[in-house]
Amino acid sequence: MKSENFASDNRRMLVKGVVFLIFVVYLVQLFRMQIIDVHLYEEKASGNSIKPIEIAPYRGIFFDRNLNVIVENIPSYTVRIIPQDYDKKNNEVLETLLALEKGTIEKFLIKNKDFGKHIPLKLKRAVDFKTIGFLDENAERFPGVDYIVEIQRGYKSGVSGAHILGYSREISNEMLKKDDFYQPGDYIGFTGLERKYEDELRGEKGFQYIVVNNKGKYTGKYENGSKDAPAIKGKDLVLSIDKRLQIAAEKALAGRSGAVVCIEPATGEILAMASAPDFELAKFADVLPKEYVQALNNNPLKPQYNRATLAAFSPGSTFKLLCSVSALDMGVITPNDYLPCNGGYQYGNRFFKCHGGVHGAISVVRAIEQSCNAFFYQLIFKIGLDNLANYANKFGIGRRTGIDLGEESPGFIPTTGYYENKYGKNWPRGIAVSLGIGQGEVSITPLQLAHFAALIANDGLSYVPHLVKGYLGADKKIVPFQFEREDLGMKKEAFATVKQGMYLVVNGNGTATNIRMNDIVIAGKTGTIQNPHGADHSAFIGFAPYDNPKIAVAVIVENVGWGSSFAAPIAKLMIETYLKKNNSTDSTMAVPVPVGGHFED
Amino acid sequence: MKIESDISEKFDFFLFFTVLALIIIGLIAIYSSTLHNPFAKGNFLKQVLALFVGLIAFFSIYSAPTNWLRSATLPAYATSIFLLLLVLVIGRIAGGAKGWIRIGGFGLQPAEFAKIATILAISQYTSKSTVNIDTVKDLGISLIIGLFPVALIMLEPDLGSSFVFFTLILVLLLWKGISLFGLFVVLSPPMVAISSLFGIYYIIGALILVAIAILLFRRDLFFSITILAFNIAAAFFVDFVMGILSPHQRKRIFSFLNPESDPLGSGYNALQAQIAIGSGGLFGKGFLQGNQTQNQFIPEQWTDFIYCTIGEEFGFIGAIVVFTIFALFFYRLFKHATSNTHEYHSLIVIGIFSVYFIHFVINLGMAIGMMPVIGIPLPFISYGGSSLLVNLSMLGIVQNIYKSRKQHV
Repeated sequence: MKSENFASDNRRMLVKGVVFLIFVVYLVQLFRMQIIDVHLYEEKASGNSIKPIEIAPYRGIFFDRNLNVIVENIPSYTVRIIPQDYDKKNNEVLETLLALEKGTIEKFLIKNKDFGKHIPLKLKRAVDFKTIGFLDENAERFPGVDYIVEIQRGYKSGVSGAHILGYSREISNEMLKKDDFYQPGDYIGFTGLERKYEDELRGEKGFQYIVVNNKGKYTGKYENGSKDAPAIKGKDLVLSIDKRLQIAAEKALAGRSGAVVCIEPATGEILAMASAPDFELAKFADVLPKEYVQALNNNPLKPQYNRATLAAFSPGSTFKLLCSVSALDMGVITPNDYLPCNGGYQYGNRFFKCHGGVHGAISVVRAIEQSCNAFFYQLIFKIGLDNLANYANKFGIGRRTGIDLGEESPGFIPTTGYYENKYGKNWPRGIAVSLGIGQGEVSITPLQLAHFAALIANDGLSYVPHLVKGYLGADKKIVPFQFEREDLGMKKEAFATVKQGMYLVVNGNGTATNIRMNDIVIAGKTGTIQNPHGADHSAFIGFAPYDNPKIAVAVIVENVGWGSSFAAPIAKLMIETYLKKNNSTDSTMAVPVPVGGHFED
Repeated sequence: MKIESDISEKFDFFLFFTVLALIIIGLIAIYSSTLHNPFAKGNFLKQVLALFVGLIAFFSIYSAPTNWLRSATLPAYATSIFLLLLVLVIGRIAGGAKGWIRIGGFGLQPAEFAKIATILAISQYTSKSTVNIDTVKDLGISLIIGLFPVALIMLEPDLGSSFVFFTLILVLLLWKGISLFGLFVVLSPPMVAISSLFGIYYIIGALILVAIAILLFRRDLFFSITILAFNIAAAFFVDFVMGILSPHQRKRIFSFLNPESDPLGSGYNALQAQIAIGSGGLFGKGFLQGNQTQNQFIPEQWTDFIYCTIGEEFGFIGAIVVFTIFALFFYRLFKHATSNTHEYHSLIVIGIFSVYFIHFVINLGMAIGMMPVIGIPLPFISYGGSSLLVNLSMLGIVQNIYKSRKQHV
């Protein structure tokens, strides 16, 4: 309904008045700016213009748990060309000086011709000091050429840590669109912790306002730098890694392929994580040589692949520990129950062999000590496949552990649903038998194994495994990051019984007595993982000291045979290195040589 | 001769040519400001492309039967709401591309399209014979129609567009004939809310003024108390909203309110803009000869600060030319709004008029340092596909209404 005031004369006047007013005010202002004050602005425009220069923040570095430097920033020189002032006659000389292919500079200038002529272009990074010195001394011969100091990662601590630390690369166009922090040409964490903790490491850019004339030449600081904003350096991260232990782990795996993961049971902190073969991070920090990358990509052993978190193996006999602790917690067996082993186990029309002869009636503790297969062939049916899968998930098996590293494989644990889907409702139950000894569809990563060992060692209490403790605060104190607590809520007695068995494996009559020590009591479990494509893999998980565990270890070495002969000695080396902090034990033991081992486990 | 006068009765050539003139000026300015910028080099051609698409939209809308406007309103409004919700969801996933949906290399800005839809919706609703704008219910519904899109836009957060919407709704209500009291009811909560940003004393002061006004208006007690309560709620609303925003969003709002606190933001931009314009002098430095523009000293110089290129390269004479064309444009539009006695159409035209004018005021104000920098483009001149498309569509609606104005006498 039409209001009486609809488009009334008053309102029309109001609108017309406002429009008129705005026009007048704006024109007066423009008149003032462009006629009255024109000289003031002209002077500012032709002689003085303000340009913001980005100040790159110092990227956070990495320390180990004892505040030893693992990754640092080192200065690196970058040679630049300012096209406006550059003389192309110098192309050949410059190319020779900087070891560039002939014609590179010509192409470089053409590629970048759309940028303003006075904007410096980065020609070559990581130029050596001698060359910089030469360019500096002969600056008049090279007009339009300058150099700046940039920051590059340095790896001088002796730790390789290629898979943990990761490297940075120049940011891609897709990533540029997603986050307006970055400019083209910036570096961003690409793999590993450099990537996962990019936000903490990158700091905040600063700005310096300088004054340039209309040709773009620097003429001074804007307002004496009072409006400048300093760059805020990135947070320095304190890793849970122990430098000595990490170096020892890497050395132990040298020349082999496999993984070593060490975790502190009470806290879930990863003390060492090594995967072999690996590669050199220093090469990625620099200008990456093409041949190096090609060699890495063509290597069939895949050095860039982090076996600790991504390689899922059949766990072999180490799986027996999961069966044991689950069964004891469920109450389907007690420490005093016995199951028969007559050299094997008959299921249906197949006899599943147990190695090492006939064990007779055997209890769980001894079954662990001797790694009796028959015991576990039967135990798995008492537990039930789905119950076992449930327990496995509790222990972080068959799902991702949640490590703060990025990609990890969840491994796999089969359920009845899985077999029914694959083979139909009447799936052959015999398949599940070998699951009891960790063969078949079940697969676990070395990280999951170490995490499992940590949980056993600490009676089912720990934290989500993580590599970073926190960052270094202003007063050199560690500001911790929060990680999720894990409490399995299982019976302490179940753990105690399993641990007893593990104790005997090393200190009784078990399968790893070769690593028994007098001063440190180690408990563990060997595993030999059958490998259809070649020699078996050697596995060992364990912890020490038995009474008050400080370190849990998982070692898998590929294609070398028995668990006791290869993996166990490496685990012992890890434990010794970590617990005997004052000894230089890292120099006494080279790569373990297979000692004629015990029977197959 | 007879045919020509027939056509000019159905199509306002004068208005159309002023718009074409503005568009050409825009293309010249965009070309000049992007020539030396490797990232924005394609913008001139993109604007030409947008122009063609816009002209197609313009003529399509113009040729449609006028009562099509009524039937298109609800679908347009619903689609706008949908797109605004979509942009909030996508923005969250993609990490905040500020109110845009990207398709291929082009961006779509739902807030722009929502303007047309909201104008149509409010105009249609308030001009219904059963609606009395001075009743609580009808005023309330009108406000909800207008404020729903605003709420979504504020969540992006795009405070610039939100401000345009508020003013637009206000103008529509004003034109519709809302009483002074009605105006007071609508304006007082936002005023109180804004005052709350300045501190507790301002809130108290604002509420006291509101109470005095209520007394002076002499309405019944219940009504008066409700309005007062509403205003008090508005004071706390701002606090509440700040609480649920993320730190990133809060930072954006504060830097908008206080440009000095953000050294990388508007303070620097505005200064550069003024230097460019001022140094243009009387005649300007000449096409492609403005060193501030050519050396890329002004950020966003083909969108928010497009006027700087005109100011620097064509000087005060250029200003006179642009202002004259805009003056003729606004004059003509206003005439359409006032001469059309059909309430519904008159409202639509004044709504469209105010969108153009508010953009003009804010954008030029930003360039000459009289308005905070809130990212509003200059109609027909700034680079921007969505913007040009919407502006030409609105022009199409105006011409469409002009075409059929004799039918409703």
